[in-house]
This record gives sequence, C-alpha cells and structure tokens, in this order.
Amino acid sequence: MGQYILRRIIYWIPALLLLAMVVYALAFFGAGDPIKLMFLREEGDVTYDAQRLDAIRREKGLDRPFLMQFGEYVWHLVRGDLGMSVISGRSVNDMIAATAPVSFQIGIATVILVALIGIPLGILAGLHHNQWIDNTILGSALFISGIPSYVVGPMLMVFLVLGLGVMNVPYGWDGLFSRKAILPMFVMVFGSIAIIIRQTRAGVLEVLSEDYVRTARAKGVPEIMVILRHMLRPVLTPVVTVLGQMLIGIVNGAIIVEKVFGIPGLGRLTIDFTYGVDYPVIVAITLIGAFLVMALNLAVDITYPFLDPRAGQAMTGIED
Amino acid sequence: MTTQELSATSGIELAQASRSNLWQDALARLAANRLAVIGIIPIVLLFFVALFGPTLTPYDFLAQDFTARLDSPSREHWLGTDELGRDVFSRILYGARTAVSVGLVSTAISLVVGLIMGSLAGYLGGRVDILVVWLTDVTRSMPALLLAIVINLTLKVPLEAWMEQLYLETKNTFFRQTMWVDLVLVFGALALIQWPGYARLIRGQILSIRSRNYVLAARALGMPTSRILTRYVIPNAMGPLIVAVSAGLGGAMVLESAFSFLGVGVQLPIPSWGKMISDGLRMWQTHPHLLAGPAVMMAVITVSFAWLGDGLNDALNPRQWK
Amino acid sequence: MSVLLDVQDLQTRFKVRQGYVYAVNGVSFRLEEGETLAVVGESGCGKSVTMLSLVRLLPPAASIESGQVLLKGADLLQLDQRQLREVRGGQIGMIFQDPMTSLNPFINIGAQMAEPLIYHRGMGKKQALARSAELLEMVGIPDGETRLREYPHQFSGGMRQRVMIAMAMACEPAVLIADEPTTALDVTIQAQIVELVKALRDRSGVAVVWITHDLSVVAGIADRVIVMYAGYVVEEASVDALFEDPRHPYTVGLLGALPSLDGDAHRLTTIGGSPPDLADQPTFCPFHPRCPYAIERCRTENPALEAVADATARGHRTACWVDIRELQSPVVSGS
Repeated sequence: MGQYILRRIIYWIPALLLLAMVVYALAFFGAGDPIKLMFLREEGDVTYDAQRLDAIRREKGLDRPFLMQFGEYVWHLVRGDLGMSVISGRSVNDMIAATAPVSFQIGIATVILVALIGIPLGILAGLHHNQWIDNTILGSALFISGIPSYVVGPMLMVFLVLGLGVMNVPYGWDGLFSRKAILPMFVMVFGSIAIIIRQTRAGVLEVLSEDYVRTARAKGVPEIMVILRHMLRPVLTPVVTVLGQMLIGIVNGAIIVEKVFGIPGLGRLTIDFTYGVDYPVIVAITLIGAFLVMALNLAVDITYPFLDPRAGQAMTGIED
Repeated sequence: MTTQELSATSGIELAQASRSNLWQDALARLAANRLAVIGIIPIVLLFFVALFGPTLTPYDFLAQDFTARLDSPSREHWLGTDELGRDVFSRILYGARTAVSVGLVSTAISLVVGLIMGSLAGYLGGRVDILVVWLTDVTRSMPALLLAIVINLTLKVPLEAWMEQLYLETKNTFFRQTMWVDLVLVFGALALIQWPGYARLIRGQILSIRSRNYVLAARALGMPTSRILTRYVIPNAMGPLIVAVSAGLGGAMVLESAFSFLGVGVQLPIPSWGKMISDGLRMWQTHPHLLAGPAVMMAVITVSFAWLGDGLNDALNPRQWK
Repeated sequence: MSVLLDVQDLQTRFKVRQGYVYAVNGVSFRLEEGETLAVVGESGCGKSVTMLSLVRLLPPAASIESGQVLLKGADLLQLDQRQLREVRGGQIGMIFQDPMTSLNPFINIGAQMAEPLIYHRGMGKKQALARSAELLEMVGIPDGETRLREYPHQFSGGMRQRVMIAMAMACEPAVLIADEPTTALDVTIQAQIVELVKALRDRSGVAVVWITHDLSVVAGIADRVIVMYAGYVVEEASVDALFEDPRHPYTVGLLGALPSLDGDAHRLTTIGGSPPDLADQPTFCPFHPRCPYAIERCRTENPALEAVADATARGHRTACWVDIRELQSPVVSGS
C-alpha cells in the first residue's frame, strides 16, 4: 500500500514539473520582455534606452539562461513564493490571497450543491428507467449540459432583470450567503450537474442488472436498504473518478461566471490580467489550477482502493 | 438466470443478427430516439449555413450602416444591428462558418494526433504506453480555458512579429492577415485540449478488443494482424469513436466561442458567436437583442449536439442495449 | 405428505422491441414437503424464468400474465411487497448460477450473511454475525469468524457458492430454489456442492427445486423431474420412471445425449437444431421441427400435458401426440 502511494506521488510530481516548465517556457520565450512591459506601463510611450534596460535586467537576474531562471522560479515556488506582478508590481501571493477565497468558496459550494442535488436525481432517474421521471430528468440534464455557462448567465440576466424585473442587476460579490450569489451559484451548478446526474444514472442502470442486487432481494432485504447498502457504493465509486474532470469544469465555469457577474475571484484576476499580458500572474494561476486538479487525481488514486475492495488487490501503475 | 441467458431468451433476433444488421440496428435505435432526431435538424442546418452562408446572408457581415446603429429587430434587420450598424443575423450566419470550421479542423487535428498516440500506446505497450498515458494525464490536468489563455497570451505576439517579418521578406500579402495567427492559436489550443481524450479512447479500445476471445480466436487461426485490425478492431472501435467525435465537434465549437468570449479566440473581423455574446454582454441592459440572438443560437446548437451525442451513445454502445 | 408449493398455469412474457417473447407458457407443478424436484431443459427453455417468477424477482422487461403460486395455500403473486419480502429469504431461499457475480463485491461476507437473519429473525448485528459464523462452518468453511470479515474476491468460486447456500439456508426456509448452482463450477467442485445440498436437505428436511440442464446431476439428487421445453412442461415423472421409461421425444433426446457409466459403448446422440423462437404462442408442438417422431398433428395442434395411460409409476405425465414406444424407429420428418 505504501509503495503504491509512493508510486502515485512519483507519477504526479514530474507531471506538475513538466507543466510548470512548459508554461514558464511559454512565458519566458513568448511573452515579450517584462522589463519593456514595465516601462510601458510606467512611462507610457517612451523610447527606452537599451543600456538602462540591460542594467535593470542584470540587476534582476533576467539575463541568465532559461534553466537557471526556471530553477530559481521552481525554488521560489516550492517555498510558496509565486513572484511579482509585472504590471502592478505587487506580490502575486498577495493578489491571489485576496481573490482565491472567493473562488474556493464558489467551487466548494458548487461541488456540495451538485452532489446533493445531482446524485439523488441520478438515482431517481436510473430507478425509473425509461419512465417519464427518467425522461424528464435525463432530458433536462442533457439540455442543461448543452448550454454553455456564458450563455445561461446572460440569458438569465435578460430574463430575470429585464423581462420579469424580479431582481436588481447582480454584479459584484457580497459573500456566499448573499442575494448576489444566487445567480452565479445557479449558473455554476447548472454547468456541472449534468455530468453527475448522467454518471449516477448510468451507474444505477448497470448495478440494477447485477446479480448481487437480485441476491439481496432474494434474501428479503427491504428495497430502501437494497438501494442504500447494495447499490449506492458501487454506483458512487466510479463517480469519484470523474471528480478531476468535474474540477476542471468548475475552474472553467468559475472563470466565465466571475467575468459575467463581475465577481472578484481568481478567474476575474485571470481575465483582467489577460489584457495586460501580466504573465507571472497567469503562470501562477495556471499552475494553481493544474496543481489542484493533479492533487485531486492523486487523492482519488490513493483513496480508490479503499472504496472498491476489488481494486485493493491489484494496485498496479496505470488504471484506465 | 444470468443476463446472457436473459438476452438469449428476450432478444433472440439480436443474437442472430449479422454485423451489417448491427449497424442497421444502431441506425434504427438512433431514429427511434426522439431527442436525437430533433438534434440532427439544427446541426444539418448549421453545416448548410456554414457552407452556403455568404450566398444566404441578406447583408455583408462587414457592411456598416451608420443610419441604423443598434436597431432593434425589424423587417430589414431580422435580429437588429450592432453598434456599427452591422446586421446581427448576417453576422450570426457567418459565425456558423467560424464555429463549423474551427470544430472540424481542430477535431481532425486532435483525432489524428490521438489516433497515432493511442495506437502507439496500445500496440507497443511497456514504456511507450506509460509515457503516453502520463502525457495525457499531464495535459488533462490543465483547465482548458487557462491553457488557451496562456497560449494566446504568450504566443500571439511573437507569432505576429514573425509573420510581419515574413511579409517584409517575401512581400506576400498572405502574411499580413493576422487572422491566421488567431486561427492557428485557436486550432492549436483546441487540439492540445482534445487529443488526450481520443488517445485514451483508442488505447483503451485496442487493449480491450485485443484481449477479447474472438480476436484471440482469429489470432489462433493464423489470421494476419492487418486483417484482424480491419475486421475486428476497427469496426469495434468505430462506435465509441463516432460518439466521441460527435461530442468533440460540439465541444470544440463551445470552447471556441468560450475563447472568443474571454477575448482569446478569433478576433475581428471574422464574426464568432462567443465574441458576439461577449460584446452583447456590455450592452445587455439597453440592447438585449445583441446578446439574445447569438446566445439563443449557441444554446440551440450545443443542446442539439448533446442530444445527438446521447442518442448516438445509446445506439452505438452495446453495453447499454439491455 | 402434503403439498407445499402449488404452481398453476404460470405465464410470463418479456417485452421486446417487436412485441413479446413468451418465456413461460402455462406451467403447472407441485412440490411436496421434503421433496426434491429437478427442473430440466436446455438453456433458454424458461426454467430460470419460471423460478424467478415464483418470487417475482424478474427483470423489468418481464411480466407475469397469469397463474397462481400457492405456498402453503397463500398466493405469492397476490402478496404486497412487504409480505413478499418475508417470503424471500424467509420461506424460500435461493441460490443462483454464478457465485462470482451473485455476492456484492463492495460488502464483506459477514454483513451479507447477516442480512437475512436481521430482516427475518430480528436478530441484532452481533447475534447475526455469530450465527453467520456457525452457518459458514456448517457449509464447510472453517474459521468462520475471520472469513466473515473478508470480501467476496478473497473467496474461490466453490467457496462463494457455499456462502450463497449458507445465506439461503440461514432462516431455515421451507423451500430452497437452486438455479443451476453447479453450472459455473469445476466438475470436482460441482460434486461437493451437490453433496453439501443433499446433506443439508437431509438434515433440515427442506424441499428443494433444483434447476439444471445436466441430467447426470438429477439422478443423484432428485425425487421427481419435470422437463421443460420452450416454456412448456413437456414431461413430468418420478426420477426412476423418467430414466427408465421416458415418454417425450425431447426427454429421449436428452437422455441420448448422456454418456452412460455401465461401460456399453454406444454412440452419444444429439438433438439437432435449437429451441424455437418464442416470439409467438405456437399453434403447433414447439418441439416438432426437431422431433424425429413428428406426425401431421404435431404441426397443427399443441399437445397438453396429460397422464401417461399405461404408466409404470404414478404421476407420469407427458405432452406428446405420439406414443413413442409403439414406434420401432423414428419416422422421417417431413420438414
């Protein structure tokens, strides 16, 4: 078991390093000269003199070869230092510390709501396979999953604010439990719930035809206990493996929802600094996003054998 | 009674079906799926419009009419006009062309890359397999929109500079069109996001089909690998692949417009639905028609793809036959 | 002896895309107390569906169209879900074909074994587990308490079938339905399972319905046999009468496909063809296309199950227009 965990860690750490290197290299070779950008920001349209630029570059160690600078970046990264913003001159750590809690609140609340609503709906649909309940749930889930969040958000605004006039313009953020959070949370849940409903429903359909469910019924186990004891775990265990995918969806969704509703979170930070080409900020946010997904995948890898007793037997390198 | 026995008693006609009948069966199942059939109509229309858009549009997508700026929908302009007096309906039709071409090209690229990588992993196995799977895991850990933003942010300026230099050297006006840089970046980002899905699918199919008894039997009979591939592996992998490609096409179109919405997609002058939604969002309180037109269009197309995809999945995925 | 289980005119059909498949067509039989009844037939002849119909454990596509299933006089088909639940696992224990898939891989053996005791006997968890350990020892799995904490994948196929048997017998049911319990097992294990069920039966006096397509098992365990074909009972007899004096051509065919152990070297015969499409209620004998004795009447009328006129034993019944003993050799089939 310990060896297995170690193998999974060894699997994901180089992955994170590779990603960091690619993103850093993109910024290093592609993004243009940060010093020039700094000057552009500070002094407007000036003709900068090359010697002065070189001096600053040397002073900041920006004339050193790529690998040295990357090594230094990683070293800082390991110690939790994400660098300085080129545009604002502020520490990226501070900028992220100021925005991340909002995004994390949204993300965690989304996961909880999606699980609480999506799993029961999926089970309900699966148990009533091909009946109207199933058709309604699946049809709306497919409908919902089809519409991108940047369409749902604006359309809801047009409908609720202009059409019905039931609410004020929801722009900005007053915390998770304020009225302004209702619409963004709705859009977030809207965007991710279909995956869970479909996965759960498919799981129920598969498990329903399993011999062991018939055995449980043949033993006279009450139907509710057949569902809770015999079906829930086999149904939910594979759901765990799509958590990584779901997180990616939530990160993508948060970027868009934060833009649509003007919420000051990580996604908003990304968008704001896209236009300013502030690449230390973008690199940092990208790495945080990828790190979260990888950490979640690693956690899933490690916990999966506990969830599925059969998997505990054969814990080999790659599962598909 | 096992499930096999059940299907033997309850679906005798299935057991006797030949392979061509399997495809006919799949088609029949698809035709019986009401949502899928409804979904096909807008998709066919979309492809039609993408092909013949320029001859259908009442106005040129660039034609500006300053006497009719920000008009609400009317007889002349069915979906109104934008702030430059351009006809929104015509721009939506042109946007279909952007969506379809981006979807087709990026899906083609990622499919080819995915096929190659997946086959390598599935057939060579060992270290190659581990490496490919690892690479797909690395790529799939990147949230798609962040990846697109990073790529656009870092590569756009150097690429444009390079094009400019090529223009100065060759005086070929082709290199003046910065739009090509946008397209290359969007295609590249989409292909990068989507190839791991195809690679893993192909790898999984090869691994699972290869160990099926009928392939083992064919091998035991001395059937050459190429024949096993064309007779068993490819036909069996076809169903899941069709489902994946249909989902991929829809997904690529949604992602493309999401890029445009975030300002890292195809820039003007080519109309893109995402860009139109993003622009419309700035004035939605005063001129909601700018937002509603492209947003409804986008919703119709993506929902259609979802319904069709689900129908295809039901029709082609034998595991769900029961 | 009194009648324990009385099945009358049971009909079950499956809904498929093009209509219905008729799996069980008016099956009637009785099971007496302490008796072992074997149900024999090819795969797909409706024997499993019949047994699942008794306790209404059918898949959603199937429906019971008519009939009565009287267990000690009460019709199981009329019970509500709660009453039915008390019969399942309480009055009727079931063992299924594939022990590899019949146990829940996510739950340990102890928890699965305790369930019938908790729900039918009202035992506490601790008590139920203690009893489960005893039951394991009873079916020949030593060290029960340790093994209760293990999961199904840690057991071999034969061991899992023993667990299934222990579970089915946990509440001392009146009837044990064994649905091809040895088919998925190795030959040596098969014999052990048969012996185990025999021993348990002799000790507890449970009545057994043993479904199988293997006639060699039948001879060793059954008192009476019913032979099923295409959802019909085509012959019913005591085990001796069936082996010595079979009256239905299908039974004859099945016996011909059985190797004998008396050393006589004779060619094993097979029944040509396969069971018919059950998509329609036939107006002909469903066996006639494969029957070497078929006459014209077999093509136009479906024979009912009727007592054999000159039977050597009581209760011998068959569904055939032809008295096959009168025929020296099979007539050439016209089709």
